[in-house]
Amino acid sequence: MQRYLLSRLVQSFLLLLGVLIVVFFMIRLTGDPVSLMVPKEAPAEVREAFREANGFNRPLYAQFFEYLLNAFQLDLGHSLKFRQSNLSIIMERLPSTVYLATISLFLAIVIAVPIGIIGGFNPGSAADTVGRAFGLFGQTIPGFVFALYLILIFAVRLGWLPSFGRDFWYSVILPATALSIGGIGQFVRLTRSAVLEIRNEDYIRTARSKGLSKMAIGARHVARNAALALISVVTVQYSYMLGGSIYIESIFAWPGLGNLLQGAIVDRDFPLIQALAIVFSFFVVTLNLLTDVIYAVIDPRIRYGS
Amino acid sequence: MLRKSIVVIFLLAAGLLLIACQPQTVEVTRVVTETVTETVTEEVAVEVTRVVTETDTEQVEVTRVVEVDAPAKAEGELVVAITTFPNAITPPNAAERQAGNVTAQIFSGLVWIEDDNSISPALAESWELSDDGKEYTLHLRQGVTFHNGETFDAQDVVTTWEAGKDPKNAYAYVYEEADSVTVVDDYTVKITTPEPDPLFLRSLAAWGVYPTDYYNEVGFEGFEAHPISTGPFKFVEWVKGDKIVLEAFEDYWEEGLPKVARLVFRPIPESATRLAAVQTGEIHIATRFVKEEADQVFGNSDVRVISYANDRSYYIAFNNLSSGIGQPTEDVRVRQAMNYAVDRQAIVDALFDGQATLSSGFVSPFNMGFDPAIEPYPYDPDKARELLAEAGYPDGFQIGFACPIGAYPNFEQVCEALSGYLADVGITLDGGEIQFMESGQYWDLEANKELPPMFGDAWSVTNGEALDRLQGALLAEASYAAWEDADLRALIEEAGSTIDPDARAAVYGEIHQYMYDNPPFIYLYYPNVFEVVNSAVQNYKPRAAEDYYLKEVFLANSK
Repeated sequence: MQRYLLSRLVQSFLLLLGVLIVVFFMIRLTGDPVSLMVPKEAPAEVREAFREANGFNRPLYAQFFEYLLNAFQLDLGHSLKFRQSNLSIIMERLPSTVYLATISLFLAIVIAVPIGIIGGFNPGSAADTVGRAFGLFGQTIPGFVFALYLILIFAVRLGWLPSFGRDFWYSVILPATALSIGGIGQFVRLTRSAVLEIRNEDYIRTARSKGLSKMAIGARHVARNAALALISVVTVQYSYMLGGSIYIESIFAWPGLGNLLQGAIVDRDFPLIQALAIVFSFFVVTLNLLTDVIYAVIDPRIRYGS
Repeated sequence: MLRKSIVVIFLLAAGLLLIACQPQTVEVTRVVTETVTETVTEEVAVEVTRVVTETDTEQVEVTRVVEVDAPAKAEGELVVAITTFPNAITPPNAAERQAGNVTAQIFSGLVWIEDDNSISPALAESWELSDDGKEYTLHLRQGVTFHNGETFDAQDVVTTWEAGKDPKNAYAYVYEEADSVTVVDDYTVKITTPEPDPLFLRSLAAWGVYPTDYYNEVGFEGFEAHPISTGPFKFVEWVKGDKIVLEAFEDYWEEGLPKVARLVFRPIPESATRLAAVQTGEIHIATRFVKEEADQVFGNSDVRVISYANDRSYYIAFNNLSSGIGQPTEDVRVRQAMNYAVDRQAIVDALFDGQATLSSGFVSPFNMGFDPAIEPYPYDPDKARELLAEAGYPDGFQIGFACPIGAYPNFEQVCEALSGYLADVGITLDGGEIQFMESGQYWDLEANKELPPMFGDAWSVTNGEALDRLQGALLAEASYAAWEDADLRALIEEAGSTIDPDARAAVYGEIHQYMYDNPPFIYLYYPNVFEVVNSAVQNYKPRAAEDYYLKEVFLANSK
């Protein structure tokens, strides 16, 4: 177990390193930030001074090694635009993103799992058909289209909910709904098929022949085994919600990291984009690691290493 | 089973659409003005949501709409959407227009630029200029207080200059245009410039004043976090990525202003959301829309659409400094021919629904010295062929042409259309196509003068004079210049050193004519921009550079 964890840690670390390298070189292929950050009318000396102050005049490899060295000391550099440490900007915005992603995940589970369970226990029924259609709808509709519809209907047409921002406790409802719709679709389908499969397992038949009630079987055997199948997609979905909420946050002007990243890309704020990419990949890697650990702990059938 | 699912999905989607597109009865209110206000009000019952609108915009100008009396004192909360996350809200650091618009409500400048671009007194009540044109003596207004209660005096102007030219500021070089700023007495300062600079007095409008004691106490970082000046609104809080809150300053030096008690700026990058939020009344003023978006709300009586020409000149530049050396475009007849060859009006009609003003030069209709007698080049392909033949290219020629991607609305299509018109008169492109480039890479090449001999771009000015873009694009030493013309240089330098406004206007007139006869560009257009404001907003008037001052804006409280 320990050896397994250690090897997973090393793998995760290498993955992060790969991300650092890719991000650094990819962004620099797209052009010089001086042209974007310095006003067009500025004299040539101002342009040079800016280049020098930010180290853009040094060879690429030198810039890269300094960037790596700093990253290991948790120094993610300074934003060109905001002239603040990237980490402090990110920490300001992080809570909003975590809040939105967590509510969305919660919403997705609460809505999708019951639908999936009902469908799984009653395949072919009317409820199952509606549930499956709903799941298919969730998985296929693009989140940003759904988001705009939500705004049009619930903010503009009905006037029930705010169209943007995070001013009230209920401001989160529309963005969380938009962000969770993809997850709902996935969870419904997965829960349904897991339940369907488990229902036909031998140990369920055994339990039934023992005379256990339907409820007891459902709660103790089916639900627990189905949960196992769900964990991996839930964590993947959560990391997607944390990092993949760029367009949802932009549409709802949600004061989080996705919105920040969108702005940073428009402004070609290299250091900030790098820092955000690192933070997002950190989420993904950490959640993957966590998934593996959870499996190792809760599923007695899984044994790793020795 | 699958078929059943599809039916249900279809029903779900149809339901969504039905709710989103319910027919409604609406009142159409649209304000179109040609220097006078003209309000078109009609009752229309609409079956579908889109309302066809008039597109009469030869010379669109925005006027203030005032339907009710202004309140006696500041009241209500005005919410304004901005499209970016400001990097800073101090004058030497606010990097773009949206941040600058927040800054403009907090700070007061030494002089004030009127809507018609004339200069009038602000914190400086009067001024004199020495005979050599290098020394300004400013007499300052007395009895002005800062938001923190400090009294404004001559020392604060010195502090403003010193703080402004701190190299940590993005716009330090603007303050470096002054050589020295010295206190003469409590309410008089002397400012010197190294050379006579006709735009200098104008630039003092952007010197938002800093309070000496406060700045010395909190320093650069502290001031950035909580700016204090003498403007109509004082800073309350800035929740990063969410909102900037200002409050009416009760001791503001202009009696009876401002008219709203609270002013909130909300960054909303997505235009569809801004459009929704202004319809729901969550925000009052939303900017930067395209025609198609503005069309969606025509007919909604809760909002008003404002459109005006933006002083951003679009053009296709020629190069005679690097890639263009030895090219046919060095011949003035060829450049004239290319201006005749393009049907600007057709391009503007097709791509901007006619919502743009055609360009006749780099001195725009919104600039000092513009000569209205100079009409944009007409579309005349025969004349173009004739000129090409005269220049020795009866069968045309081949030339390299580049355009940026994603930088300006519809610009890729404009370049495509333009290359089609050029092909009609025999001018084809190197490699058979336009070299499209992502904008970041494009600006790099442009700054290094490495673009092909023909390239598209746009240049805006914000101070009502064309000088900045003339110097920036047409003096070889400037970063983005690709063209050099000795006669034109002489004229630009003359404009840059003529202090007397009338004399300078005359020089601009000459430049306009010279650049028409000897075009360094293919001139294109000035596109209109669209804003949507809540009907309750009164006395709001954005300017051609998309800047606005909200001290006189108020809300009709019927809403």
